Amino acid sequence: MNKPENRVDKIVSDLLHGRRLKLRGGDAEEKAAITAAARLVAARQGPQRMNPAFRKRLEQALESAPTEPWLTRRAALVAGFGLAAGAVTGGLLGRAMEPPAVATRIAGGDPINPIPGKWVDVAAISDLVEGQGQRVTAGSVSAFLFRRGESVTAVSSICSHLPCELWWNRGQGLLACPCHPASFTPEGKSTDTTYPLPALNTVHVRVTPAGRVEVLGTD
Amino acid sequence: MSAGHPPGEQESTSDEPGDLLQLPMAPRATDIALHELEIVYAFIYARVGNRADAEDLTQQVALKAIPRLREGAPASAIRGYLFATARSVLGGFWSTRLGLSESELHEDLALAVPQTPPSEERADIVQRILAELSDNYRRVLELRFLHGYSLKEVAAEMHSTVGAVKVMQLRALRAAAKVKME
Repeated sequence: MNKPENRVDKIVSDLLHGRRLKLRGGDAEEKAAITAAARLVAARQGPQRMNPAFRKRLEQALESAPTEPWLTRRAALVAGFGLAAGAVTGGLLGRAMEPPAVATRIAGGDPINPIPGKWVDVAAISDLVEGQGQRVTAGSVSAFLFRRGESVTAVSSICSHLPCELWWNRGQGLLACPCHPASFTPEGKSTDTTYPLPALNTVHVRVTPAGRVEVLGTD
Repeated sequence: MSAGHPPGEQESTSDEPGDLLQLPMAPRATDIALHELEIVYAFIYARVGNRADAEDLTQQVALKAIPRLREGAPASAIRGYLFATARSVLGGFWSTRLGLSESELHEDLALAVPQTPPSEERADIVQRILAELSDNYRRVLELRFLHGYSLKEVAAEMHSTVGAVKVMQLRALRAAAKVKME
């Protein structure tokens, strides 16, 4: 029964009988065949619509969702509340725990206003290469710096979709997410025009007269 | 010199277009999202091939994405965010079930961006795939997937054995996986 043709046939039989995909780690070798089978079964039936009972359950679930502001996992990470992230996945964090400046206004592209905020020296402007992202941390705030002449801009290093640390793709000149196919320009805008994601949060940054770059972070 | 504005001095960016996150949801946005979730459901179903998994995954998309949608956002933006979430949810589904990292899934599983709206994915995609296969591979998949034959019936039809048909079915599916479907 462990032969690949037997395992795949069991999966095919399940699909043809409308049953769930029951997979296990050993099936990874046949992932292409399994997904082809799933697509063939689905394509045979044509585009599907939601079952009315499921649609009703979904509507009820959405209608019963809290109307209070939510704190997303990403916002929790951005605000340095990493430990709270698991607790707020799909749920409402108690109002008493909400950092006011973050939880009441969570919008892509908005600046991160750490509470309490502190300007943190992160680099000399001469260390930054024009056109190249430089990742820095300022306490619990992590960011990518971009130098343009004598000015510097900064965006959060946390993806706006999944709470993952972005990395600087030097070849493409983009910030890339390791968790899913998404990338952002140095200005923080999503590069995917088909499915645009929210912009990255901006991070406050300044250059001192002495040529030091400071980011508004935390202790 | 400074790229940002310190707290208290910053300009409001709340009206900047193109960004999605703003809460809470208004009923109208919920209605838009529910409409778009029909398309998301079809997109997911087309990749998992069964109702139970498609419903679970669609619900995951809704619960993950909808709390983050901005009130007043256009349907196209809501659809975009829902599909971005759907791709992530599908990636998580396959990687969890198969024990693979999502980076191993991008090329050949559910994460490719469709070139046409999912609602327009055509049922005759099966014929397009089968047309690319050799006669034996096409025949075994036709009998199994289009006509719903059992392995025994396929074996009888093709004057072969059940064991040989199983192997042929696997090889045919591997070949089908290489056919560009979108």
